[in-house]
Amino acid sequence: MNKNFFEVKNVDFNVGNKTKVKNVSFAIENQGDVICLLGPSGIGKTTILRTIAGLEKIKKGSIILNGKTLSSEEINLEPEDRNISLAFQDNSLFPHYTVEKNILLGSERNKEKKDKKISLDEIVELLDISKILSKYPHEISAGEAQRTSLARSLITQPDLLLLDEPLSNVDQSFKEEIQVRLKKILNKLKITTIIVTHDSYEAFYLGSKCGIILNQELKQFDDPYKVYHLPNSVEVVNFLNRGILIPAKVTGKNTLENLDLGTIEGNFIKEYPEGSDVKLLLQPEDLEHDDSSNLKLEVVDRKFRGTNFIYTLKTSSNTLIPVFVHSHHIHQHEVDEKFGIKRPIHIDHIVCF
Amino acid sequence: MRINFWYISSFVISLFVIIPILTVFSSFFENTSNYYQVLKDTFLMEYIFNSLILLVSVLILTFLIGTGSAYLVSFFNFPFSNFFKWALILSFAVPPYIYAYSLTAFFENYGTAYTILKNLFGEGNYNQSIPKFDGLLGAVLSISFSLYAYVYILARASFLYQSQNIIDLGKNLGFTRLKALYSIILPAARPAIVAGLSLVAMETLAEFGAVDFFSINTLTTGIYNSWIAFDDLAFANRLSFFLLLFIFALFILENLSRKNARYHFNTKAGFKQKEKIQLSGKKGFLAFSFCFLVFFLSFLFPLSQMMYWTIKFPENLFDLNALDLLTNTLYLVTLSSLMLIIFGLVSNYGNRVNKNKTLNFLSTLSISGYAIPGVILAVAFITFVAWFDNSLVKNLGFVSIKKVFIGSILGLVLVYFIRFYSLAYNGIKSGYEKINISVDESSYLLGYSKRKTFLNIHIPFLRNSLLFVGILVSLEIIRELPITLILRPFNFETFATTAYISASEDLLEAAAVPSLFLILIATFFIIVTSKYILRDNNE
Repeated sequence: MNKNFFEVKNVDFNVGNKTKVKNVSFAIENQGDVICLLGPSGIGKTTILRTIAGLEKIKKGSIILNGKTLSSEEINLEPEDRNISLAFQDNSLFPHYTVEKNILLGSERNKEKKDKKISLDEIVELLDISKILSKYPHEISAGEAQRTSLARSLITQPDLLLLDEPLSNVDQSFKEEIQVRLKKILNKLKITTIIVTHDSYEAFYLGSKCGIILNQELKQFDDPYKVYHLPNSVEVVNFLNRGILIPAKVTGKNTLENLDLGTIEGNFIKEYPEGSDVKLLLQPEDLEHDDSSNLKLEVVDRKFRGTNFIYTLKTSSNTLIPVFVHSHHIHQHEVDEKFGIKRPIHIDHIVCF
Repeated sequence: MRINFWYISSFVISLFVIIPILTVFSSFFENTSNYYQVLKDTFLMEYIFNSLILLVSVLILTFLIGTGSAYLVSFFNFPFSNFFKWALILSFAVPPYIYAYSLTAFFENYGTAYTILKNLFGEGNYNQSIPKFDGLLGAVLSISFSLYAYVYILARASFLYQSQNIIDLGKNLGFTRLKALYSIILPAARPAIVAGLSLVAMETLAEFGAVDFFSINTLTTGIYNSWIAFDDLAFANRLSFFLLLFIFALFILENLSRKNARYHFNTKAGFKQKEKIQLSGKKGFLAFSFCFLVFFLSFLFPLSQMMYWTIKFPENLFDLNALDLLTNTLYLVTLSSLMLIIFGLVSNYGNRVNKNKTLNFLSTLSISGYAIPGVILAVAFITFVAWFDNSLVKNLGFVSIKKVFIGSILGLVLVYFIRFYSLAYNGIKSGYEKINISVDESSYLLGYSKRKTFLNIHIPFLRNSLLFVGILVSLEIIRELPITLILRPFNFETFATTAYISASEDLLEAAAVPSLFLILIATFFIIVTSKYILRDNNE
């Protein structure tokens, strides 16, 4: 018996005759869970959502919601019969209706639903769109249109909600606040949701699980912590762009040796035989700054990121290593200066390839 | 692919509309009577020559009038320029055949011009000094003054879309105003002007009323005569085939001449509203005079001539059963417009939801109906019904259905439908193009079926486009002559046919009253739609 609430099994996602993502399988265990799909632009994330919504067909695999097959080689339930809501990335509001009417059209779907968990007023307040209710889509900003589209999707209280880059047009200053509100609403309504985004922070915050789509494949599907700290492939590391791979030799059960950095301790995620050569994932927060350390590296660049600096350091073998330093750190290091690294180096999870 | 209601509907509608085209093409392989040989030895070359001369002259004249007036009202402010902006489209209310009646009535021996001169200067032998605008010249003038508005409207719309930036660019390069017109403004508006001229070309080649009135033998009158006088449908179709080739050749020529040039303006990014140049003094007066002359000659002149005659011979007004004619005209207009709008909508939606190559091809072919002269359509329709009827009666022993379609309102409305289908289809299509496909998808995802999406989302959005299309089609039907003439039921007249019949019986004064009614109704329709026809880019 199928115990997952939603399941994608071995599906090839196509646009016309072109396959965008191959042999994808993932599941959402419980109703109300939120997952995120991450990947670069044009990789096929939107195609996945459109297919789940029923706007594209599949030739291989199956898509199952609450025990019912929505799509397979033989079956293709029409979008209007799925009770799945998709909020498009681009404006898909009905241009001849006001914002309010647009949202209310969404509520018509579940008119008879007795356990209405949210009202128009609540949604309007949560998404802060009360001032634009009487306006037409062409009179509002792209961010407001996106929030209206989101409101329309939420009010339908679908079995599955699909959000395609839901906040890509929302102002940066307002984005985090909306993310918090969105998470609250989704929790409250217990709407199972798949969010597509290219913003990893958004994915890590909103999703209980994250899928990374790269090179036509779902490379990893795991909880955000593991995706970040325990990436399962070099491609995922490169996509998240948060660390580098440096050569190292396994010297013991919990130790490695790098020519430039010396001994590195920690817990291996996977076992490697002693003496084997590996590539170690080094993330900016793995190394600590220590002025008194005798391990000194040359600063080649410094980026100010508000709460921290990212120093790029050059080793004697010309490897460039990123290191985070809190921006309130007592002093700053200029380019060409020497920068001390605390020893011994300890990394909680040692990820090697 | 799943065959659904929308697919089948679109397919059937498109197929129905292309029947006459297929009939014309298939007739090429049929035998014709001796008339073909006779004509080939005698008048065929004259038909072709006259059609060509008429076409070229009308194209030159409509280009000059249409583009000139559009340039003036788009780029300059001068006395009454805002009035001329819409007044110049009123010429649409005067079909070429009514213009031809006015022209003749005014300049003929002892006509209106003579009366004016007599009243001003007393009795005299003025007839010799009054120029005569008849024959080919009369036809060229009548058609040009009636049709230049196609060029005017499209050129003006294109000028409006030209950003001030490109005008400034011209200034920056040191161009004079004239040089800017030749080097920047006109080339940039070329597709629009050519589109306008193509419409003029099609209408000119299809023109029946005016050329028939001036007794000029063209391919179109040849088709009519070979059918009426020689009862040779096959030959009428063969002539139609030549005329169609002629029209298609024009299209191909235009397409080839464009090569890979692009003419699009990005209307959002970087668009700068034009600053109109104020013309005052002599220049302002000249601009005013040009536009006034065009307005006067194209609209005021035929209108006042018809009014003059109506007042001068009031008995015609009482003889005319205007209420009946009005009822008939409006009956046809309502029935045809409704049919065109409903089927145009269904077909557009069918194409939109199915995205099927066969359907797309059929639709493209079906909208070429506008290029086919009314005379050809009517003749092809009769040919097809006769063939279909024969097949039914002979092979299956059915009762003849000819009378259901020929000489009946149903037949008339069906042929109007074929003739103006492209107008309705394209009008609705341009409305549909403003609806992003994700709107449909959103609707499905909100649980709306295809039918509900069509009824609840699309139709409310398209209502302005539908109104516009309805009125545009109505305007065409009110003015339409050859189809009505050939296919109307016995004793069923419209303003257009009544005017034509009176004029062809040399009773021009009697033609004035129905002509006047026609002009007034058409003017009303134009004024109602002028807001849409002359839509500015920022609206």
